[in-house]
Amino acid sequence: MDLLTLQGLLMTGLLRGGLYALMAVGLALVFGVMNICHFAHGEYYVLGAYAAFFAHVTWGLHPAIAILVAAVLSFLAGAVSEKLLFYPLRKLNQSGWVMNAFLLTAGLSVVLQSTYRLAFGTKYRGITQYWNASVTLFGMTVAADRLVAFGIALVTISGLWLFLQKTPTGRAIRAVSQDERGAMLMGIDLDRIQTLTFALGSMLAGIGGASLLSLSPAYPYAGSKPLISSWFVVTIAGLGNIYGAVVGGFIVGLFESVSYFALGQGWQEVASLLLLMLLLLFKPTGLFGTNIKTVWE
Amino acid sequence: MESGLQHRPRTPPRRRSLLRAWLSAWGLSPVFVVGVALLALAPLWARDAYLQRLLVVSLYFGALAMTFDFTGGFINAVNFGFAGFVGLGAYVATLVVRNAELSAWVGLPAAALATGLVGFLTGLLTLPLRGIYVSLMSWFVGMTLMALAGALKDVTRGARGLVVPPMAEGITTLGYLYVLLVMAVALYLLLHRIIRSRAGLAFRAVGQNFDAACASGVDPTRYKLLNFTLSCACAGFLGGFYAHFVGIVTPAIMDTSYTMEVMTLSFIGGSGSLLGGVVASFLLIPIFDSLKYLMEYRLIIYGLMLILVMIFYPAGLYGLYQTAAQALRQRFQRR
Amino acid sequence: MNEPAGQLLSVRHLQARYGRLQVLWDISLEVCKGEFVALIGANGAGKTTILRAISGVIRPSAGEVTFLGQSIGGMPAHKISRTGLGYITEDLNLFEAMSVQDNLLLGVMTRQDGSPRGEALNEVYQLFPILSQRRRQLAGTLSGGERRMLALGRGLMSHPQLLMVDEPSLGLAPRLVLTVFDALTDLHRRGVTILLVEQNVNHTLSVADKAYVVEHGRMVLQGPSAELLQNEYLREAYLGRR
Repeated sequence: MDLLTLQGLLMTGLLRGGLYALMAVGLALVFGVMNICHFAHGEYYVLGAYAAFFAHVTWGLHPAIAILVAAVLSFLAGAVSEKLLFYPLRKLNQSGWVMNAFLLTAGLSVVLQSTYRLAFGTKYRGITQYWNASVTLFGMTVAADRLVAFGIALVTISGLWLFLQKTPTGRAIRAVSQDERGAMLMGIDLDRIQTLTFALGSMLAGIGGASLLSLSPAYPYAGSKPLISSWFVVTIAGLGNIYGAVVGGFIVGLFESVSYFALGQGWQEVASLLLLMLLLLFKPTGLFGTNIKTVWE
Repeated sequence: MESGLQHRPRTPPRRRSLLRAWLSAWGLSPVFVVGVALLALAPLWARDAYLQRLLVVSLYFGALAMTFDFTGGFINAVNFGFAGFVGLGAYVATLVVRNAELSAWVGLPAAALATGLVGFLTGLLTLPLRGIYVSLMSWFVGMTLMALAGALKDVTRGARGLVVPPMAEGITTLGYLYVLLVMAVALYLLLHRIIRSRAGLAFRAVGQNFDAACASGVDPTRYKLLNFTLSCACAGFLGGFYAHFVGIVTPAIMDTSYTMEVMTLSFIGGSGSLLGGVVASFLLIPIFDSLKYLMEYRLIIYGLMLILVMIFYPAGLYGLYQTAAQALRQRFQRR
Repeated sequence: MNEPAGQLLSVRHLQARYGRLQVLWDISLEVCKGEFVALIGANGAGKTTILRAISGVIRPSAGEVTFLGQSIGGMPAHKISRTGLGYITEDLNLFEAMSVQDNLLLGVMTRQDGSPRGEALNEVYQLFPILSQRRRQLAGTLSGGERRMLALGRGLMSHPQLLMVDEPSLGLAPRLVLTVFDALTDLHRRGVTILLVEQNVNHTLSVADKAYVVEHGRMVLQGPSAELLQNEYLREAYLGRR
């Protein structure tokens, strides 16, 4: 392997890692606060991609605005799904919540995928690029879209970090993730926080799908690859560990791009999954996970 | 908190005939007996090849749901990689017939054996894990199997798939129905016997409270492994059958959406009922299939039903049946 | 209803159950503004359940709870908390992985009067200087005594009208028990109304104005602390002397 290939691999790995980090932070947030193993996360990614496609191509909106539309839409979709599904489940049967909620997201995933298929068909809806430019980095040409998507991921994650650290509502979200009863006794409305959390998680996925539209087009089943990869990330990071999810995102991005190069597509997937199983077996709390129920501490 | 404080007087044991006791011990409930009889008499009422095909597919999915329930409904571990095991069975059965040129009567047991072995290994992998992690692990195993089926192009021809010869020379759809019926009844009797034995109690104990089960002397390792191995072997056995029936096997058979379908049937049928999933399958699959325009919406409806059952009626059809039976019995006794 | 002047909390014929198991029968009690009231009784008598039912952590199965003239029975816990009723649980429910300061700031989510956050923070730091030293430290790393201080401080951040405190001396070394009781009396002197649950009858009666004795989910005795200290039954059952 010559130096240039290595550089290329590192570069694609890092850029890919940004997306994974973004998606995985959403998963970790939803798990950390609500104890939901979110199996339908990829569907909000797809929603974001469709929204951005229609906003940008059909309505001819500026890319930045299209991505913003996607973010708002997936936020709202997340809020609605929470109120419609998880809220009643929480109220009606509390026992076995983790498993039931997981199954519920599995059902939701199927419903959303099929709905996309009915509404938009199986056609791939993608664009060649948002921004007609490329940048030369370390002797490599990188499409501006990739860099911008990476930038958006970083900015979004930092924004979320600030929100969770510095605002009362963000603090309340962290409080709920650590001690629901304590939060309740502080006057925090759990229902509101749960809805907000799910909406935020969905928004992160939606932003991911929207900003990468030129690399992976929107189609009904586009969500499963990023879903699996982001599950990979949170398993590495430890379920519910947001900080770990950021680092894990980059680890997985690099691992995937290197193993793809070395093994080819089919075996790369096998390698990822095997590694994932080993991790689950020997380090179920993740590489950085000491306390599973923590959001960003 | 509430247990142990209220001692209810035990209802006096009802006198039951020996025959009824024997039937119930083998799980030969009226619903079961009538169902099997109807299927056995299918040539009399289902002349149409399409209808016969429908019966095979319904029974196949019903049997899968039953197998799924054996794990999900009893040791409370949702095998999310279920489709992967079904597909593994399909591939093994196919390869035995194609490459070793043996008959399906060797292929199907081989499929059961191989899947059972992988099931055993998966069981080993999930041993240190609890609850949701077991589902995750089995999901990863299932996806690995699917990825392998795609990657081992020399053996499986990747996504192009393998053509599978029929089970026997000149076998008809009706022939398949009888083969499957015998398989399904045998599996049911086996699984039901196990559920009714000491092992069944142990399964429930492990499923409800792992630590308490350990404390009360149940060896959860043994039972968890036994359960996983058996249910995966059954899944592979059925998968092998299906490969012959449809005549082609591709990695797509291992897709998680099939797990979803089977899981939905088993949940709608009622968790921990074995037969509930079969009933659900005979109710739903013909409806979807006969109303072609519904096929498009099939997965949406499955998903929605799963969601609704999860939220509003976790007991499923079996719970409905029990409630109805209870009400009838009470009315009967009051007279 | 005729409410005596200054009445803050009134509980009438309260009943509560966990599932099918009834744990409280016909509990009535009253707390007036500025009072220091104690609930005493043996382990498992139902004292904690009373606080849980008042604070909305569990739903009372019957009876009335009135706080500041408003019926709060059956309201969700976060709304009750917002009416100015603070509750410090036995296990404290601290946010272990957050800093001391963040914990305190979370206490102010429901502030009644509009006074700024910083002020409340300063007040608490003045009251418990040790918390000020540890403000950047994670709550999970504090010692047992410090954890109680933090829980108390967090409970005070919102300037509650009534502070319910459950077993603050539980599991503390004798020296620390005294510190906690000192802190409570100090708070009371500053005008905070307190409803205290304790097993430590001796200490409690020496600081409380009046007390209720709970046994097997029922109120068996009540009265001013001084009188109770003279009560034969109480002395025999709880103080081990005649």
